[in-house]
Amino acid sequence: MAVPTRFATPSTVGPAAGLDKDRIVQQTDIDALVSRCSAVKTGYLSDPYAELFLETSAPRDRRYPLINRGTYIRTIALDQLVDGFLSQAPTAQKQIISLGAGSDTRFFRLAAANKSLRLLYHEFDFPQVTIRKIEAIKRHKELSSIISEFSSTGGQVFDDAAPGFQTDMRTGSLKSASYYIHPLDLRTLKPGTPLPEGIDPKLPTLFISECCLIYLSPTETDDIFKWITTSFGQPSESNSNGVGILLYEPIGGDDPFGKVMVRNLSQRGIVLKTLQRYSTLERQKERMRMLGFNSGMGACDVNFIHDAWIGGDEKERIDKLELLDEREEWVLLAKHYCIAWGWVERSPSDQEGVFMFQNWTRFPVQQT
Amino acid sequence: MSDLDKAIEQLRQCRPIPELQVREICFKAREILIEEANVQVVDAPVTICGDIHGQFHDLMELFKVGGDCPDTNYLFMGDFVDRGFYSLESFLLLLCLKVRYPDRITLIRGNHESRQITTVYGFYDECIRKYGSANVWRYCCDVFDYLALGALVIGAGSSVQPTRSTDGEDAETKVREAEDEVEIEVIGLGGVVTRQMSRRDAGMINSTNLTPSALPHLSSSGPAGALLTGGTGTGAGSSSRGTTTPNAPANTGGAVLCVHGGLSPLIDSVDKIRLLDRKQEVPHDGAMCDLLWSDPEEIDGWGLSPRGAGFLFGADIVKQFNHLNNLTLIARAHQLVMEGFKEMFDSSIVTVWSAPNYCYRCGNVAAILELGEDNSNAVLRSGGEEMLFNRENTRRLASTYMGGSMKRGGPGRRYRVFEAAAQDSRGMPSKKPMPYYFL
Repeated sequence: MAVPTRFATPSTVGPAAGLDKDRIVQQTDIDALVSRCSAVKTGYLSDPYAELFLETSAPRDRRYPLINRGTYIRTIALDQLVDGFLSQAPTAQKQIISLGAGSDTRFFRLAAANKSLRLLYHEFDFPQVTIRKIEAIKRHKELSSIISEFSSTGGQVFDDAAPGFQTDMRTGSLKSASYYIHPLDLRTLKPGTPLPEGIDPKLPTLFISECCLIYLSPTETDDIFKWITTSFGQPSESNSNGVGILLYEPIGGDDPFGKVMVRNLSQRGIVLKTLQRYSTLERQKERMRMLGFNSGMGACDVNFIHDAWIGGDEKERIDKLELLDEREEWVLLAKHYCIAWGWVERSPSDQEGVFMFQNWTRFPVQQT
Repeated sequence: MSDLDKAIEQLRQCRPIPELQVREICFKAREILIEEANVQVVDAPVTICGDIHGQFHDLMELFKVGGDCPDTNYLFMGDFVDRGFYSLESFLLLLCLKVRYPDRITLIRGNHESRQITTVYGFYDECIRKYGSANVWRYCCDVFDYLALGALVIGAGSSVQPTRSTDGEDAETKVREAEDEVEIEVIGLGGVVTRQMSRRDAGMINSTNLTPSALPHLSSSGPAGALLTGGTGTGAGSSSRGTTTPNAPANTGGAVLCVHGGLSPLIDSVDKIRLLDRKQEVPHDGAMCDLLWSDPEEIDGWGLSPRGAGFLFGADIVKQFNHLNNLTLIARAHQLVMEGFKEMFDSSIVTVWSAPNYCYRCGNVAAILELGEDNSNAVLRSGGEEMLFNRENTRRLASTYMGGSMKRGGPGRRYRVFEAAAQDSRGMPSKKPMPYYFL
């Protein structure tokens, strides 16, 4: 989960500056995490790790049913697409790079669920965020042992005292055989930027941006896309490894709901900088096409995903968790967030003709 | 100035009143409400309002647009509390008005007037925050149990007095319009008449082409809207509010059932609602629950509600219910409508939504529905004004209207559309964490 205000330019932040700005940053990150914990506590999600990242002083508010449901759908939708990627040629090693990962728990959930998964997992975020995350990892044995155990199956062994991983609290970095946390300003990623330590461009790679790139300027975001498609997924002699991206972000800022959203967020120094440019599902798909993820692409709003991606039994289960007395509001809100995905893969990744992103063609897509 | 008037004044400033006074007012309110029927009979003219949800400053906006209580006779269809930041002040103000002017304001129960729902959606937390204990929440919940489940508006006229523009510039249009009875009038933002529809026209329209032109800021070029836009002197101060055209034919607009949610498969007549034992927490199922939770939907018959309580019901259900009960309209709230109101099923049911920019996030406008009084009723009243508020007479009138002899056709209805109060007057705590978007 991204910490949006850190990208805000000084003029939009208004009086908030320096330490005050840091406080807002922490507040928004905690805010998103609290939502996740609320969805877990209410029974929507199973995620024993979310709460471990919540500092003891943080509020443990229960969110409205509509927020819980949105947190749930976003998580489930991304999980399904990630699983689609990982389950294709399951024995092949793969790589996931999470942009603006914040306090996301996806690595821990994946690693705990399948210790034999051959996965290299990287997270990029600002040092203020990564330091807090690494502190939590060191504080909780449940978290650090997952990294150690998962990394010991990956092959590489660190001769550091810490079991299975190294940390640098000054810079806010963590490295292990299979899991890296990189303190990194996303705006430095442009075509030609060298790859951060531990990243293997030859592996089939999936990028994830959960509400993160939306806070960068169109130029900065496009540069990141180009950095990805030029650094990864280049066809080699024998095969192409393929690279894909998953986005979760707001859309539709031109209607009354969208205008209020833009206004409310800007009052808190949060500017949705690419909302205008990529405001529709069509534009999201076009962006994938234009910026190099042109083997395949898709985009659905969260309302559609709720209706079409969640099975009948599961829907019945979540309907029973809470009375959702916000039906129209839910539809309105859910239509203003989308999941978009795209990939580039020039040829099958092995001799058996496996395309790493083939499963993504099977998801129901929204007619636009 | 009595203590009650002082409390009303204080609440109008959005300042909570002391706990002991809340207890006293809740006690008095219960004494009044206990005497009310499950389906309270209300005489037109009346102004019908939908969900408020603790948006106190928008409630003040509503009173500006609709007129003050007791000058205007109000009917609020529930959901006073939860979601907004000022459930307590909003509900207590309405309750004080009820105690002060019991015949000029009717409060019916919404699905949020419940112990269970208020603990999830904010009212409970707000009471704890503002008083440090749950006492006030308990007093209010005890009042909720006594709120009526519905209301039957009788004596509504079949047309509304067309609102005149004061500048006189488009007098020609007005004269032409005045030749027809106006069944529906929409007063858009800023008090501008955006739509007037004669009974003949109204028969040919449906809600989908009615509501958008009510919104000049969303759809500026609706043909009928454009025709009648321009009168700016018809806002909150207009003297024509709530009156009927003096030369309307002597037919009535018929009875209008007001209920928060909608119908129930267990209820086929208004009389059946009267038989319910309402003085309890809203049950999880059954007729009482359905009335507060159900929604109209484009289906045949009944359907399961995605809300987890109540049902969905189709046009056939509404039309049959209205026919059997001699109703010309069902007015309900419960569902957010971006345009503030929405007529469905050939205008047999309308949703009225009175919380603009719902949850400070949705960007919607709000509306109230004014039903004028019937002309033939006025003749009756000219013989003796005291009959106006005579309960016995009201009941006799009700049975006449329920008798099935009157001509069908919706009551004359004027929708007043309004926006949220200006942001700076809303007093939203600026440092409040914002769980309203996914970040």
